[in-house]
Formats: sequence, C-alpha cells, structure tokens
Amino acid sequence: MAIKLNVNGKQVAAEAAPDTPLLWVLRDRLALTGTKYGCGGGYCGACTVHVDGAPARSCQLPVSAVAASPIATIEGLEERHPELLKVWVEKNVAQCGYCQSGQLMSAAALLDAKPEPTDADIDAAMAGNICRCGTYVRIRAAIHQAAAQRNGE
Amino acid sequence: MNQQAITATPPAAGALANLSRRHFLGASGALVLGACLPVASANPKAKASVPFQPNLFLSLGPDGTVRVTAHRSEMGQGVRTALAQIIADELEADWSRVAVDQAPGDAKYGDQNTDGSQSILRNYDRLREAGASARLMLRQAAAARWQVPVEEVRAVNHQVTHAASGNSADYGELAGDAAALPIPAQPALKAIGEHRYIGKAVVHVDAADIVRGKGVFGADVHLPNMATAVVVRCPWLGGGVKRILNEPKEAPGLVAIETLEPAPSAGPVFAPLGGVAVVAEDTFSAMRVARDLQIEWTDSPNRGFASDELRSALRSALEKPGAKVPGAEKGDVEAAFQGGGKQLSAIYETPFLAHAPLEAPVAVADVSVAEKRCAVRAPLQDPQAARGLIAQSLGYPLESVSVTPTLLGGAFGRKSKPDFALEAVELSRRLGRPVRVQWLREDDIRHDYFHAASAQFHRAVIDERGLPQAWLQRTAFPSITTVFAAQASAPAGWELEMGFSNLPYETPNRRMESAGIRAGVRIGWLRSVCNIFHAFSANVFADEMAAAAGRDAIEHRLAMLPKAGKLAVPGMQPPPGHELDVERFRHVIERVRALSEWARPRPEGTGLGFAVHHSFRSYVATVLEASVVDGRPRVSNAYMVLDCGTFVNADTCRAQMEGAVVFGLSLALHGDIAMRDGAVLQSNFHDYPMLRMAEAPATKVELVPAQDRLPAGVGEPGVPPVAPALVNALFAATGKRHRSLPIRV
Ligand code: FES
Ligand code: FES
Repeated sequence: MAIKLNVNGKQVAAEAAPDTPLLWVLRDRLALTGTKYGCGGGYCGACTVHVDGAPARSCQLPVSAVAASPIATIEGLEERHPELLKVWVEKNVAQCGYCQSGQLMSAAALLDAKPEPTDADIDAAMAGNICRCGTYVRIRAAIHQAAAQRNGE
Repeated sequence: MNQQAITATPPAAGALANLSRRHFLGASGALVLGACLPVASANPKAKASVPFQPNLFLSLGPDGTVRVTAHRSEMGQGVRTALAQIIADELEADWSRVAVDQAPGDAKYGDQNTDGSQSILRNYDRLREAGASARLMLRQAAAARWQVPVEEVRAVNHQVTHAASGNSADYGELAGDAAALPIPAQPALKAIGEHRYIGKAVVHVDAADIVRGKGVFGADVHLPNMATAVVVRCPWLGGGVKRILNEPKEAPGLVAIETLEPAPSAGPVFAPLGGVAVVAEDTFSAMRVARDLQIEWTDSPNRGFASDELRSALRSALEKPGAKVPGAEKGDVEAAFQGGGKQLSAIYETPFLAHAPLEAPVAVADVSVAEKRCAVRAPLQDPQAARGLIAQSLGYPLESVSVTPTLLGGAFGRKSKPDFALEAVELSRRLGRPVRVQWLREDDIRHDYFHAASAQFHRAVIDERGLPQAWLQRTAFPSITTVFAAQASAPAGWELEMGFSNLPYETPNRRMESAGIRAGVRIGWLRSVCNIFHAFSANVFADEMAAAAGRDAIEHRLAMLPKAGKLAVPGMQPPPGHELDVERFRHVIERVRALSEWARPRPEGTGLGFAVHHSFRSYVATVLEASVVDGRPRVSNAYMVLDCGTFVNADTCRAQMEGAVVFGLSLALHGDIAMRDGAVLQSNFHDYPMLRMAEAPATKVELVPAQDRLPAGVGEPGVPPVAPALVNALFAATGKRHRSLPIRV
C-alpha cells in the first residue's frame, strides 16, 4: 500500500507494507541510501534518522508509526547543520564512513538539544552508535568544535 | 604536529555515481573505468580532446582535471587518497583538481589484493614514476611549443612556466601535446624535501561524500529490475538443505526461493556456504520470509564442534612438545630448566573473533546468460581474485566478467573472501535479473571466517634483572591454511612469523614450538592476524618477567633487546631495508616512554601498561593508562608511537593508530565468539559487543619521521600491542594478572 511520508521537508509516497521498518522504505523505496543497515536490531545506530526532531533507529520503526511525523535523514542534514558537516570533513573524522551518517544524525540531535555538550553529554548521546573503525576520538572533538563554532557566531 | 589539512573536491561522487548501467553491463568494450585505456593518440584530429593517459593510473583532460585510478580497495584506511597523493605529488598537480576513479579487478594493474597492509609498500615507487613521467612529458610538450630547452621549463602546481620568455600554460592546455610524446623510461623523482603532498595530512577524497550520505557502499548500488536475496544458512559448516518445512507459496514481494548447494568440503577456496536463498523485490520482504523459514539440514562432521572443547584441546597441546620452529633453537632449554634459578611459566588464551565490519557482506551481480556476461559491484578487498572465481563458477572467459569494488564499509580481512559475491552471481544467473545478496548481521557473525582461537605456553628461567636465561615458547591454534586444504592443520611458517618466531629478544637458550588443530568453522585472517595472540602472550609474559624481578617494564624491555643491529630471525628473511631493526624497536619504545610521561605518577588505582610489537614491517609501541571502575576496566588514555618508514598521509597514519586502539580494546574487553553443536552462539552487537564512545580513551599518536626509509604497513600494526598493554596496565593498577581474553575482572 502507498504510505505518505514527510522526509526532509518533502511530502513523498512509498509503496510498502505497514510493518516495513522505515530504514527499508528509505533505502529501497525512496532511494535515500545514506541511512545504513548495520544490525537491524537497534544496537549500532547506523540507521539513525530524526523523527519529530529526535534521533531514532529507523530499523526499529514500522513505517506506519511515523507516517504523521516529520522525518529527517542524512541527505537533508547539510541544510540544517552545515558547520557540523564542514568540521567533520576538516577533521577527517570518517574512516570507512559506513557508520558516519548515523553518527552525524546523533551528533546533530545532540547539538539541537544541548548547544554546549559536555563529554558526558557526548558519551550519552552517542552511546547508541558503533564505529567499528574506531573514530570516536575524532567524533568527540568534532562535536566540541562544531558547538564552539556555532556558539561563537 | 602537522595538521595542514588539504581539502579535495569530492571526486568520488562523480566516479562512483557515473558508473552507468552501460559500464556495468559492459555493453561496449570499455569495461575499464576512468583512466585505464591506453593512449589514444593515433588520431591527430582528436588531439585537442584526447586525454593525456601516459599510464594506467592517471589521465589529464583538456580542462586540466587529473583523474587518478585507484586499483586498491578503500575500506577506511585511506588508500584512495594515498595513491592519489603519491601521483599528484610527483606530477605537481593542484590537489583541488585531482579526482579519483575506482579500477575494476584486472591483472593489468598488478596485484590488487588490498590485504596485509601492503598497498603503499608495493606501489610507492611505481606510482611516483607514473606521476613523474607525466610531469616530464608536460614539460617536454611546453618546451617544444615554446621552442626552448626543456631544462629551463618548470612544472609546479599544475602550471608549466618558462621564466626567461615569461611563457606559462596550465596542465590542461598541454594535455593534447603531451599525449603525442613517447613515455620517458626513468623520470627523475623528487628529493625528500620537495614533497608537496607525500608525508602531509590530507583529508580523504571521499570525506565530503560520506558526510552527505553519498558514498556508494555495496548495498547502495541499485540496478533496474534488481531483486534482493537474504540467504538462510546451515548453523554448522558443511550442512546442506534436506528440506524446507514451511515453504510459502506466496508472500508479499517474494520472487523465488532457491536452494544453494554447500561447498564441497575440499572444494574451491571461498566457495559459498550454501543454504536457502529467499529472493524478493525488496530487502524487507526477503528478510520477513527468511526469518520464518524452517529448514531441516543435513549432517556434517562439523556438527559436533564446540569451542570449549577446542580450547581444552589447545591447552593439552601445549603440555607436550610441538613441532620445533626450524632454525630457532639456541643452547639447551631443558638443561637450563633443570638447572634451577628463578622460573616462570604461564598459559595465555584468546578466543575466536568475528570481523564484524559495520557493513555486513553484500554484493550486486548482473549475469546475462544469453550474452555470457557478468558484472559485479561489491565491497571486495581483492576484485581480481573475485573475478577469477566468478568466471570459473560461471564457466565464462575472464574478459566477460567485470568486478568493481564499491567503497567498503569496513572489512578487516573479511572482504578478501568473495563467497558473498559468488552467491549473488549464482542467483542472478538462475533468475535472469540483477540480484543483490544482503547478509544480515546475524549471518555475518554466525558465518564468518573466524579469527582463530589460540593458546600459548611460555616458560623461562630469569636472572636477577628479569632477563630470560632460557625461554621456551609454544603456540597452538587452528591455522588459516585449514580453509585452503582439507588435511591441513599445522600452523604455517608465515603465521608463526607473525609475532612468534620473529621476536627480537635475547636469550642464550631458546626453543619455539607450534601445534595445529582443525576447527569445525572457517578460519580467516583478521586485522593483524596471528600477531594478535602472539603479541599478546609475548608482551604479557615479558611484563611478568619484569614484575618478577621488580623492574620497570620499559627499562626491562630495553634490556631484553640486543645492543644493536639488524636481526636475522628464523624463517623467511624480509627484503633489504625491511630487516628487523633493533634501533627502530628501541626508538619507538623510548618515544612512547616520553609521550606517555611514563615516569609521571598517576592517581591511586590507575596503572600504566606497556607493549611493543613489530608487524607488517612497522614498529608500534603502546602505553595505556587504565583502572577498574565499578568492576569494569576503564582506559583513560592511550599513547601510540608508530614507525612505518615513509608515510604518505600523516593524518591517515594517526587515524589508523586511533582506530587500532579501539579495535584492540574491543577484542581485549568484549570479543568472544563461541560455538556449540557446530553453531555460533553469538548473533549481533548485543552479544558480540564492541567498544562504544564512552569506553574510547583519549589517544595521543606520534609518528616517527622516517621519510628516508622504505614505506611499511599502517592499517594493521597498531592492533597487536593494545590488548597486552591493557593487561599490563590492569596488573599495575590492581596487582591482578589476566592471561586470557576477553578480560573478565
Ligand atoms: S541498523 Fe538500526 S540500530 Fe543497527
Ligand atoms: S568509520 Fe567505519 S564504522 Fe565508523
């Protein structure tokens, strides 16, 4: 059946069974492949998107449950957080890059909620995102720097 | 610290996104991507638009864009960037005008196996020459155009200039002329001080795509009419499908249910495991059917396999003499053990590990039976080997098969084995449409080529300085060679040369022995391979010797080294320039002592642990600062010193050391794969956890400036010293010695 969604500020329609996780609707139906499959179990955060502005694991959300909510994915992040992306590139944070969409979505949600996050805030907000390549120290530094730049303006 | 960051334009977007279906199907002869075609200068009329392609690895268009062809796979180690840096450096290209294309698997590139931390080591000279010859040709083209001696013409940062006449030209303007020139045989290379990009910190060429979600990984390849398959595999190795108990007649999105035969036990290397493939129009439809499928499997000898029993067998193997490492014996260890003195012995154990790259195996194949063609895109570390195996499996000539790597979402050795690509090929062949095979995380963890479980026994007589007067080492583990040969079990020489038979420490009496055993699972190489357990046992045992004599661990280790020189170790001798060098060993130890402020007192309950290891021709020394908080080990700081000889990207080297700390701590604290009744007990990140943000220590990295030495490995050598440094730090903090991994406090 056709499900109407609001993704990155646009109204879109996707053919999918109601129990299909949002992740697979984004990837297979809407060609928004920036959101990644890592575990399908809510453990790794590779599939993180924003639903109603809050970070959510899209592999755990049946698409029918989010039809009424604004959804944001990595593809729309630059518009809202250009400085975060810029810092991420400058600091050469990514290694393989596979986890990074999810890391960025979690980091953006953190900065939205706490413009000056502490290390403990970062530990808590990023706890759901695994990076097998081990880019954590750079993620932490990039979040701090993005926060500083935003607040400096 | 060199933090000069050079940001590249995002070239990969075009490179990967432009991989059109025409390319993919290979409808034209132009299966090669980017700059791989030979010079097409035969047609003079086409001169202006002919790109300048003096070799396989670079081309220069009339607009001045330099396209580098990366023939090695990118898995986060920064190889696409590093290869481009080498070429751009000698070419004197403007980095903002360099783009990178990915090469398909093709023997014309030479070795493409992105494995063993060898990409730079094997390609440094040839890529420098590729860049340098192109630069010389551009100078020659300008000299001819301006009628001046080539010696007076300079080529710097994408511009060719002639000072006396005031002439200048952009590289792009000269591309057509340069394309008509003969390729110089031995172009002069830059001197060490002249490098523009080599040795500098350069942001990865794919970074800009990645932060926008535009990097193309295996599952991001989408072809028209493509179906997706999820394969249910037998829990034990070698089992086949007896019957499907509840095969659905129809289900939403279901295309087909296909039985795949298991690989014969002595079958081709890297053959798929077999199972039941659920093919559907989309991923979730396949997952849903696969999840509910009930399958009766046939038996196999591996059905009884239990990792606990293997562990006991490894321990028993250590109780008796094993096969002596040839050429390793010195003096008489038995006599020394009879002679008394202070004696020490210990057994160390490490478990099976899964690679678990965050991107599970995935592959897209498009087979046309009518045309006898096959095109594969997948995250593969060795596209050439995959191409050969695919051609063989289809019975097609090699030229009819193209295999092009996507970005790899991590690999760590897993994606050297193209079994998952072969599954996609077989299904596409049967169904007559493009098929993506998507491994689920559970499939990845249960059906990996596992890093071998192992055990080591060390026994030594030490003197009052803690130095070994006699040292017996035994190692036992299922060898990687067991996946290549049905009867193999003994560890191979190259496995022992990974941190066992090539230790640099002095002792007058020495013997090294090894024992093999077969496991009921596939064994594979994982980032740094046997160095993981050998560095672990040797570094912890050395720390135990120091502690037994009440000595400072670093002073003691320096005293264990020979005074100086290049060491001849048992086994295969490395080529000149790569000998095990005592000075370099000593230097990284001294540098990590300084970097970590080893002598500075730490708070009560916090300990420092040291380890050092030589692998992949590089030297890494590590100090970790750790304590136990709420019953759990906590690592607050990590210090890494790397000597990898010449390095290309300083920032990548740092990143690889940072990542190695996380990888090493994951295996030290969490990694544990167990099997019972032939089946793996773990399945996902909840029961095979890895390090997360809060556990990642602050990390300081120092690179030894060694641009006058040969390049060596970077991706792997940071991993081995991490786990033993942690054990040694926890001993310093708590007085408790952990001898098996993962650490349970
Ligand atoms: S894929 Fe959703 S949390 Fe891992
Ligand atoms: S960058 Fe590879 S998993 Fe995070």
